[in-house]
Amino acid sequence: MATATSEAPAARTASAAAKPAPRLGASVRVTVFYLLLLIIAIIFMAPYVLSIFAAFKPLSAILSQSPLRPPSPPTLANFRAIFTQYGFWRYLGNTLMVTVILTAGQVTFSLMGAYAFARMEFPGRNALFWVYLATLMVPNVVTMVPLYVLFSHSGLLNTYWAIFLPYVLGTPYAVFLMRQYLMTIPKEVMEAARLDGCSESYILRRIIVPISRPIIITATLLAFVFGWNNFLWPLIVTNSNQFQVLTVGISNFESNFTVQWNLVLAGSLVALVPMVILFAIFQKHIVNSISLTGINR
Amino acid sequence: MSVATAATGLLPKRGRAAAIPTADRGRVRTAFLLLLPSLVGVALFLVIPVIMVIFLSLTRWNLLTPLKWVGLSNYVNIFRFDGMGNSLLVTAYYVLLNIPIQTVVALGLALLLRSKRPGSGVVRTIAVLPFLATPVAMAVVWNWFFSPTTGIINQFLAHLGITGPAWLSNAATAMPVVAFANIWQYAGYNMLFFLAGLQAIPPSMYEAASLDGASKWQQFRQVTLPLLRPTMLFVLVTGVIGSFQVFDTVYVMTAGGPGNATEVVNLNIYNTAFAGFRIGEASAMSVVLFLVILAVTVVQFRYFNKRTTYEIA
Amino acid sequence: MMALGIVLLSMLLSGCAGWGFTGSGGGKVTLTYALWDPNEQIGYQKSIDLFEKLHPDIQVNIENIPYGSYEQKITAEFITGQAPDLFWVNTPWLGTFIQDGMLTNLTPLIKRAHINMAQYYPALVKLHSRGPAIYGLPKDWDTIALYYNKRYFAEHHITIPASLTWQPGGGGTFLPFLKRATYDTSGHNALSPQFDPAHVATYALGVDNDVQGGWGNYVAELGGKVIPHPYATRASMTTPAMNQGMSFLTRTLTDAHVIVPATESGPNANGNNLLQMFDQGQVAMWEAGDWNTGGVKASASFPVGTIPLPIGPDGRVSIFNGLIDGLNTHTPHPKQAWELEQWLGSARSEAILGSGGYVWPAIKSLDPLFLRHWQKEGINMNAFLLEAHGKVANFPNSPGVGDALTEIFNDLGPAWLGTEPVSTALQHAETDANYVLSTS
Repeated sequence: MATATSEAPAARTASAAAKPAPRLGASVRVTVFYLLLLIIAIIFMAPYVLSIFAAFKPLSAILSQSPLRPPSPPTLANFRAIFTQYGFWRYLGNTLMVTVILTAGQVTFSLMGAYAFARMEFPGRNALFWVYLATLMVPNVVTMVPLYVLFSHSGLLNTYWAIFLPYVLGTPYAVFLMRQYLMTIPKEVMEAARLDGCSESYILRRIIVPISRPIIITATLLAFVFGWNNFLWPLIVTNSNQFQVLTVGISNFESNFTVQWNLVLAGSLVALVPMVILFAIFQKHIVNSISLTGINR
Repeated sequence: MSVATAATGLLPKRGRAAAIPTADRGRVRTAFLLLLPSLVGVALFLVIPVIMVIFLSLTRWNLLTPLKWVGLSNYVNIFRFDGMGNSLLVTAYYVLLNIPIQTVVALGLALLLRSKRPGSGVVRTIAVLPFLATPVAMAVVWNWFFSPTTGIINQFLAHLGITGPAWLSNAATAMPVVAFANIWQYAGYNMLFFLAGLQAIPPSMYEAASLDGASKWQQFRQVTLPLLRPTMLFVLVTGVIGSFQVFDTVYVMTAGGPGNATEVVNLNIYNTAFAGFRIGEASAMSVVLFLVILAVTVVQFRYFNKRTTYEIA
Repeated sequence: MMALGIVLLSMLLSGCAGWGFTGSGGGKVTLTYALWDPNEQIGYQKSIDLFEKLHPDIQVNIENIPYGSYEQKITAEFITGQAPDLFWVNTPWLGTFIQDGMLTNLTPLIKRAHINMAQYYPALVKLHSRGPAIYGLPKDWDTIALYYNKRYFAEHHITIPASLTWQPGGGGTFLPFLKRATYDTSGHNALSPQFDPAHVATYALGVDNDVQGGWGNYVAELGGKVIPHPYATRASMTTPAMNQGMSFLTRTLTDAHVIVPATESGPNANGNNLLQMFDQGQVAMWEAGDWNTGGVKASASFPVGTIPLPIGPDGRVSIFNGLIDGLNTHTPHPKQAWELEQWLGSARSEAILGSGGYVWPAIKSLDPLFLRHWQKEGINMNAFLLEAHGKVANFPNSPGVGDALTEIFNDLGPAWLGTEPVSTALQHAETDANYVLSTS
């Protein structure tokens, strides 16, 4: 439908604009376009590529060679060092464990709450949802200090609990996100199931969850990425090496080994590479999820 | 996420009866149970802390000795003695550097990369990839990139015969570099929103405009931009709120330096609370930041509401 | 109410979530001992090795925490119940730690163990006491003197007098001596009319913007102090003594071009800049604390000597400081921690530290050990000892004084750079320090 109508004006503006030789103008445009594409690709890929190069070189090579030169031969020594000597196994393990717990809890409990808001009737539903929305406006930094005080008095500082607890019971954003999606599921689906005598729990598990796969994946991704990348909260809430997550570990490591780029960049890659892999797997999903947030009417 | 969209689901329906039929009481209990975990989370980790921080901002406390009530004096002292004024200015500077440039870049990327030419899809993906990157880890990479002698930026400049500055220890360049790091990370992600927004504009609008004799540029200004306003509002609001709270990048790249040239509010709060153990002052700073973000958001909404075009047909 | 319930639940959970150290098995107790200096750590390790031999049931793990984040880390660890059993305490945060209830009052333990406190320098005992309570056994001390480049003075045929005197405004023998010792690139010293201040090759003196290793001593020699008395909640930065002492360095000596200008060493110069300049022959005499001896010996390529500070209107006064090992009030092993504290404050341990040249022992009779070590290394440290036996002024001690000093150094920067009058800078310093001291 769109092709016929859109080509007509394009052809008219093209002929109107290109006076001298239309062919030359077009190929110049194409060249410029691909040049821009190349520059953009380089800008966004260079940090990753060059860090990967550097992480596989010894420090002497980093300091003497151009960063653009690939490692020859590549060495695993840096990774071996950070994992065996500098505790990155522990950081990685901590981060994985805490993030998985955080994600599982957040998605599950947010979905439950979203379903209640979206498709169940109960008194005070709208008012309560407004409260959830209002808390979205509260910047993270506001709750940081009082949460620390709360955890300090509960004796929970410097434990694994402290790292994921504020996020594991569900967050307003996840609830909102999933509620918007669930609102698009026709009411009749649930009404029919209820009339058939199904319990809400059955409806939720057997009907809603399968239909909501896209938004559940989105919410899972968001929660996982958030947990993986979280820095400030784990920083203030843990102070033993035992409980440190990757972000805090990388930051401490960098301040101790500042100019040993080979080690420091290897450390960063331990955090960055899993995210790249995650992105590669779920990339289509991420792009599509933008429309799921419903910002365009 | 548009709050306006959220609101439309909440308009009170007429004729809702007050009494709940018995058959539904079980349903109400189920609903309550479903809500319980997130409710506890919101109450315990969001609502209560907000109340606490207001209370704490009126005290002097270091967690180890008894709490002392000081009224509103913290709000004065954080400006007089704890550099809050400087932090607000520094943060505002960061926001003004970051958001306009990032929005323009994101829009530009969207306009360029929505093309159907081969390769556009790949580059779109490449541009989006950074948004998942761990900010702390990326900050370390940028430390290397912008390192005065071993960094690639200065090495590249040296090839051109220019001696690059010490990017992160120079007061003039430190904040722009931090802003660059954020732009690099999120421009592609915001591009996605603009792409969706651009897609939602029906081609008939452009047809009509060009039939009226409008040039490409005029079409952009009169058709594209106005219809993109909801997207623009979303990108700007979320971007500004996020930028006011920047921490990770600054902590790792400059630690607030040189001097306090990049000591953003969040870093000041962190230092005051967790290096200086001054809970009262830090809480007051948090409240002030909250109010500033609120004010800026309200202003943005007002500005856009006056000028937003929602009709498409 | 729900929150209270959650908090209680949390406390219950925290009991389950006991991921911490499970303590020791087999009756052996492990203590954690925190410090920051990697050089002194070598000496302490030797002492602790002996301690562990004498106490087979106690094992000590030394934890090195960098100085820059030391105070914050120990405090944060204390809040989470993870603080080390014993940890170094420096005077900037001594008052804070005492007030926060982190350090054990050792007086009853000292009485029971019949420890003779007269063996230590009285000024140290006073420094670490608050009323009848004392919070650590003194184990080391520091004074400030001038390291000088022997080769430079020999080359220029300058004999250093036995003592030098100075007055605010430039009177006394110190200023002429400094002029004699400052040379420009053309070989003229500052006494000569052809002296070119724009091309100084070597400055006679390098002094830090610092209360201990820098201006603090000159101010003390005029009877001035940063805080009027220990545990004061306000600063005394705008006294005439403070003004005159600061001006002597930032105006009198700077205008005479005999002292390294702050524009070259940085307004909040850390010793590293001046040490580098000293090593490169750009500074003839470096005013610094004795803990720098190892660093100077390692980096200087010329023989180094020491002379005491010049004598001011109030005599020769050096800022005096020492560390203690704080005993964590929440240690799970109070008995064993006290054993370690006693050991580290004992003559046997201090002898190990002293004879290895790591620190001056706080036990007066052991000082010759330290002196002898450095004599063998070629540096005569007697200047520092002379000052310790003379008039000393204790490092300022009050809750929050460390943060107050940071504010003071920052506010004094412009005075050192010459961009602000000394009295204005002192005024700012006092206002900011007062705020910190009164709210700590």
